[in-house]
Amino acid sequence: MQNLGSAREGARQWWMQRMTAVALIPLTLWLAASLLRHVADDYATLIAWLRTPLAAVLMVLLLMALCYHMALGLKVIIEDYVHLDRLQIAALTLIDLLSVALAVVGIFASLRVALSA
Amino acid sequence: MPAATSPRPALDWLKHLLEETVTLIRSSEQQPRVTLLRRFPVPRNFALPGNARIQHGRTWRAPPGAKRVKRFEIYRYDPDSGENPRIDTFEVDVGSCGPMVLDVLIKIKSEIDSTLTFRRSCREGICGSCAMNIDGSNWLACTRTIAGTAEPSTIYPLNHLPIIKDLVPDLTHLYAQYALIEPWLKTRGPVPERERLQSPAEADRLNGKDGKGPAACILCFCCTAGCPSHWWNGQRFLGPAALLQAWRWLADTRDEAAGERLDALEDPFRLYRCHTILNCTRTCPKGLNPGQAIGAIKQKIAQRRS
Ligand code: SF4
Ligand code: SF4
Ligand code: FES
Repeated sequence: MQNLGSAREGARQWWMQRMTAVALIPLTLWLAASLLRHVADDYATLIAWLRTPLAAVLMVLLLMALCYHMALGLKVIIEDYVHLDRLQIAALTLIDLLSVALAVVGIFASLRVALSA
Repeated sequence: MPAATSPRPALDWLKHLLEETVTLIRSSEQQPRVTLLRRFPVPRNFALPGNARIQHGRTWRAPPGAKRVKRFEIYRYDPDSGENPRIDTFEVDVGSCGPMVLDVLIKIKSEIDSTLTFRRSCREGICGSCAMNIDGSNWLACTRTIAGTAEPSTIYPLNHLPIIKDLVPDLTHLYAQYALIEPWLKTRGPVPERERLQSPAEADRLNGKDGKGPAACILCFCCTAGCPSHWWNGQRFLGPAALLQAWRWLADTRDEAAGERLDALEDPFRLYRCHTILNCTRTCPKGLNPGQAIGAIKQKIAQRRS
């Protein structure tokens, strides 16, 4: 039962999962509302909207919170249900790498739209 | 339930559905008002290894002249026979039987099939021996009324544990997890001349104002056996019963080892594998709230971090 003892961690992930969840509530509401408002607009108007400082900042925050929250959640699912050691480690590593990649791509795209002349 | 005279039954039903799904379960005394599924929709015996597949057993007919016959489908397993587990059906005359499910089991053992094996001792809900799965939820056989069971009523041992025989599960691992939280008073200072006193308010933290504090736990393991996180990761996750007991010592004002207790618990699996599913609180036959105790431990750890 003692196995390898206590890892003395886990509190941070637990806290971050809750923090990102709380942050995601207003951020997703904001995104849904904005998209609904622009649903009839053409591409140029949408881009113009994304270039406003507020929209760009909120978009980057949303992407960071979303990817972090997604990685934590997916890893918990894998830890709970995948019990083949090698498969589990592979899946966990993949989730980490892919969510960082996803966040970087998304943030880069937003910034590029927002900052390009 | 909404009053029958309510002008808007559909709205009331929606309100109850919301309450049921949104409000937190605080005690097993909250009766579910809306039940979506009686059991998880997978076939029986799904993905079970060959020797665990449950088969149909025999049926014991009610004696002629029985007044009130009720059927009980009971899980039977005898490792010595080399056979798979089976479900036996017992038709019991509950007209000539005590009021509780445990009375039925004792009646079956003494009048119908003496090989039926189960644990019991106090027959009043205080020893925790007779915990089993009745009609799909874990409860004490001695505090579940026959009148409150389904027809036929199904009786299985506690879930997800190795079975020694019939309704007797092997609790060795759960006791080892209980031992791991070191359930005894730890102090540092010199031993006092007399008892370590507590104020009534301090004692309430253990007993609960309503008598449902962590000290009221009888270690029946209904909660741990019903916890999905413990099913998937029982080797590493301590489970609600052991964690409720860990909280019992953390909440004790006489105990001086809170720091090292939290050290031992702070682990992604031992403590944080609890996802607040609250099956534990929903099933505790003593009406305790292990889910809340686990939340309190997480709060203590958060406190000492910042
Ligand atoms: S918390 Fe309740 S269900 Fe769990 S072991 Fe204690 S008495 Fe039994
Ligand atoms: S609240 Fe935690 S301990 Fe209780 S059943 Fe859910 S996962 Fe298990
Ligand atoms: S026999 Fe003691 S709790 Fe049921």
